[in-house]
Amino acid sequence: MPLTLYVPARTVLHRLHPVTKIGLLGAFVVAAFVVDRPLVLVPLGGAIAGLLVLAHAGANVRRLRAMFVLVFVFTLVVWTWFFTGFFRPSYAGFLYGLSTAIRLDAFLAAGLLFLSITRVEEVAYALGRLGVPYAVGFTLTLAFRLVPAFFDAAASVVQAQRCRGLELASGSVVTRLRRYVPIIVPVLIGALRRADRMAMALELRGFNSGRPRTTYLRARAGRADAVAGTLAMATVLVYLALWASGAGRLAGRP
Amino acid sequence: MSAPAVVVRGLACTYAGASRPAVRDVDCELPPGALAVVMGATGAGKSTLARCLTRIVPCFLPGEVTGEIELLGVPARDRAVGELAGTIGMVFQDFEAQLFSTDVTQEVVFGLEHTSVPPAEMPERVARALAAVGLAGFEGRDPTTLSGGEKQRLAIAGLLALRPPIMVLDEPTTDLDPAGRGEVLQVLARLRAEGLTLVVIEHDTATAAVADIVLFLRDGEVVARDAPERLLGDVDACLTAGVRPPDVTRLFAALGLPDPPLGIEAAAERLRSAGLVPRPPAFHEPVPRARGALLEVRGLCHRYPDGRDALFDVSLSIGEGEFVALVGRNGSGKTTLAKHLNGLLAPTAGSVRLRGREVAFLPLEQLAQRVGYVFQDPDHQLFAATVGEEVAFGPRNLGLSRAEVDERVAEALAAVDLHERAADPFLLDKGARQRLAVASILALRPDVLVLDEPTTGLDHLEQQRMLELLTRLHAAGRTIVIVTHTPWVIAAHTRRVVLLADGRLRYDGPLRPFFANEELLAAAAFRAPDITRLGRALGCTPLTVDEFLAWTPRRS
Repeated sequence: MPLTLYVPARTVLHRLHPVTKIGLLGAFVVAAFVVDRPLVLVPLGGAIAGLLVLAHAGANVRRLRAMFVLVFVFTLVVWTWFFTGFFRPSYAGFLYGLSTAIRLDAFLAAGLLFLSITRVEEVAYALGRLGVPYAVGFTLTLAFRLVPAFFDAAASVVQAQRCRGLELASGSVVTRLRRYVPIIVPVLIGALRRADRMAMALELRGFNSGRPRTTYLRARAGRADAVAGTLAMATVLVYLALWASGAGRLAGRP
Repeated sequence: MSAPAVVVRGLACTYAGASRPAVRDVDCELPPGALAVVMGATGAGKSTLARCLTRIVPCFLPGEVTGEIELLGVPARDRAVGELAGTIGMVFQDFEAQLFSTDVTQEVVFGLEHTSVPPAEMPERVARALAAVGLAGFEGRDPTTLSGGEKQRLAIAGLLALRPPIMVLDEPTTDLDPAGRGEVLQVLARLRAEGLTLVVIEHDTATAAVADIVLFLRDGEVVARDAPERLLGDVDACLTAGVRPPDVTRLFAALGLPDPPLGIEAAAERLRSAGLVPRPPAFHEPVPRARGALLEVRGLCHRYPDGRDALFDVSLSIGEGEFVALVGRNGSGKTTLAKHLNGLLAPTAGSVRLRGREVAFLPLEQLAQRVGYVFQDPDHQLFAATVGEEVAFGPRNLGLSRAEVDERVAEALAAVDLHERAADPFLLDKGARQRLAVASILALRPDVLVLDEPTTGLDHLEQQRMLELLTRLHAAGRTIVIVTHTPWVIAAHTRRVVLLADGRLRYDGPLRPFFANEELLAAAAFRAPDITRLGRALGCTPLTVDEFLAWTPRRS
């Protein structure tokens, strides 16, 4: 089962310059962060949803739909009941809860959009272009590769220990924690071994060759980037204006 | 005559903290384009030799290396691993650890980016490297979605793009199924044809048979170095080095024939002209009738949560005291089926019953005591500080008394021939760790033992020990099911083959008809053991060398 969310398609969005993609993500996050009136948030949410469709990311949304629903319902209920006091439902709380729920889902959706159209290597490349040291970007790439392997190994270890009668779900907290030792030890040791071998493989392919690095990814910003960049900038400006004027903010926020 | 590709003179290597050298006094010289196969038991120093050539020791793993290594006439001394990237490449057994990108192109490009190759040159280099390993057309694929053989070939392509004239491969096919193995060996043949100098570490004599030179290592020293037909044709030389002698070599030695050939056809011809053609008795194979079904699988289907169907309508019954081999390509559903036998997976449709009771509904601690499952990689379960503690873990989970736990630990360790209860499991070698994993399951006293590839990655001696252990357990009345890719293991030890292909039961029956049926063998990407193939060339189907000998009338 693929653990990455990247959708291998060649849509306009996929072809954007990696830096533009980061810019889009940033614009959506800032815009959703500064305002909190539900009505003002709706067009933003709509725009992100539209882009998700454009990116062919429907399957990803379906995969994570439980998370979207859970976050939304939980946020709404909690704010409604606890905004003005302990177990005191209020309309102001409902409104604020609604806006927070939309905002959190918008953050999620913007992140999902970003991961659906961006390869890890592109993220590393974009970070490099933005002046972040190569080692940071590369570590990110490696982490993406190691995390699924880590989960795979953990799943095998859990099964192997179950075969020896290990029951994880009973007893007090302390005994439960102790029961995790037979799982954590093999998983950690395995991960360390693998990381060690991977480091060797990296060096064998010239990592630390002492020669200057070149890059294969050669993203060129085109017209689509200009359009996307302008739109992102405009969105941020509009939302900042809404925030500054007070029109984007709920009255009665404590 | 050009300069040798590899020159090693008086090489010795002692790892930091080790009391004795891992290799010593190694001398060898390989002309450009040579294929050298290095063989020997675990711990003989094969991997250390490879690591010295690529400078992983001492650059990566601390150790003291003395002697000379020259690659293409240039001393390798004082060079860093990365600096040698375009000179010598190295492939490991663990193909997962060699891939770190999210698409195939990026994977191949990685080395190019780090060795100053101009971007304009990259597409052509990528295309060539992928074509050389037969992965053209895979450019945009996510490496995690590839099969084992494809992954290993991709790892090779990642190195090939750097155009190293020398390539070292450390057990490149050990973790692959027969199909993947075949793919990688094909790539090796192509690289050889293109003139690369290859150093391959291997346990399998079939790969060594085509080499220009074979080196046997033992306790860190080169004990023999010769053309393959000489070394592999010598039973004693093989056994001394811990290498499994080819079937033909053993047969010829037993028949008193000199100079055993490496090819099956040539061997058949020699036997025919010597008048040594086996005549099998007109026997009826006693079909081992089970004493009553222990495990009943009925109409089993399994669909993984991601919607992939792994098993379709599989039905079979395993009787008490059977020894069954479960075979098939990777992804054919073998492991999925095996994991249903002890409730690790629950059927999507159909049923698995143990003595009439649905396995999926049995409580965990009861199941653990009835069907033991030994995972392929012992490191997925070993965690305790001592061998004794490791084995005691299972019985303690069952809530047994201290005396009872103690008794079971002693019994299980004796069965697998491990005697040091206080030893640290992580310091044992692979074979001993594998046996410890079996002991930790045996301590639960299960009626059925399911083992996933119990001999993979072990050297000949360790494989032998593991199989003797299983044979003993079987003789003592245990029912045993093994998942395996190794033909001679099946032929010499099991009584029944269950073949899965694409999630369906393709064959279930005795061994001889299986090994005599080319179509079935192809479905499993299997090859019959050498002795069986030799027998087939002479009109019979022997399963072991001893059987072949028993059928062959000899002049006294």
